[in-house]
Amino acid sequence: MNQYPDAVTTIVNDYLERVKSQLRSLPALEQQDFLREVQSHLYDAYEQTPGLDDVARILAVLRNFGEPADVVSDRLPGAMVRSGTRRNLPLYIIGGILIALFGIPLGFGGFGVLLGLLAALAGTLIAYYAFTGALLFTGCIIMITGLTRALLPEFWDRLVELGYIQTGGPLGDFLDTITPADQGLLMILFASVFLAAAWGLFRLGKHLLRGLRFLFSLTFEWMRRFATTIRRKLRRDDLQSPRVGFPSFVTDK
Amino acid sequence: MEYSDDNKDRRITQLRKGILELAVMGVLYHDRHYGYSLVRVLTETGSMSIKEGTIYPILARLDRDGLVRSEWVESDQGPPRKYYTLTPLGRQAFNELSQEFDLLVSLAQRHWKVREQAEQARKKLVVRKG
Repeated sequence: MNQYPDAVTTIVNDYLERVKSQLRSLPALEQQDFLREVQSHLYDAYEQTPGLDDVARILAVLRNFGEPADVVSDRLPGAMVRSGTRRNLPLYIIGGILIALFGIPLGFGGFGVLLGLLAALAGTLIAYYAFTGALLFTGCIIMITGLTRALLPEFWDRLVELGYIQTGGPLGDFLDTITPADQGLLMILFASVFLAAAWGLFRLGKHLLRGLRFLFSLTFEWMRRFATTIRRKLRRDDLQSPRVGFPSFVTDK
Repeated sequence: MEYSDDNKDRRITQLRKGILELAVMGVLYHDRHYGYSLVRVLTETGSMSIKEGTIYPILARLDRDGLVRSEWVESDQGPPRKYYTLTPLGRQAFNELSQEFDLLVSLAQRHWKVREQAEQARKKLVVRKG
């Protein structure tokens, strides 16, 4: 099926990869179908494009075809909705349910509820990131402390003498039983756990952020449509209603 | 406020985009086509200047709305081709849309007719005065 020269095959495959990366949110079957279609188009266009230089021909074909983002643009909104259902992403589904339940039937009231819920979700996300940041900060502090204890024990002792570092209670008793190097190692271990947890939460937060952004864009889109409908309705009513009560002194002379 | 070239380009692109969907349906009304052949008809006979890939979002939208149906057909000249045909619903939609389009065109042209009439009236006045 593939009758391109090697250089052209490489260029075409690279382009198809770029298209594919834009289609990640589509179901696999739909992705394959569309990629086959693009492949078929490129082949026909290449065959019909005159020229001796194969690379120049395929580049001209791709230039005429357009950027992958433009080519797939209209497939994505539907795909986003499908991917929400398919992947069971809670925020995507919540978004659909919120707009279906509150957005449309309850008009302005529902709009208020929806905005309130979104604000609550945004607040939760801020709290989430604040917690993650605190975890990261604590991890860094413990790491620095552990490194100081392990590598600069004299400096540590001096800080203890001056009262900047105070260890007491069961933890202090426990630390006194092990060597300074082991104390440092233990702290570095703890710091690593904190830092790993912070890193994991940051990674997870990316999904939450994306979900929230999706919810906001859905809401704003709905608001825009709602406002347009209301504006149209008002304009129509204005045109249809007779101008009763219009001050007569303006028109009558 | 200035009417910039960017604004102008954006509006022209928007206008073309709107018409393109109707043009695609118009081409598919008479014959079935695959993406590349559809582009050729539009650019060669319809004199429309488009990025070839932009036809696919339109076809995807029409397909999603049930206005076209597609089938893969083997080709003896290369990879299989995906042919599109307008469904009965698509034909109905095309008829309705083209009526709407005619109405919009006549509305847009009314402005020119009014100007032409005013111009003719002015000329008559000049002749009479002369």
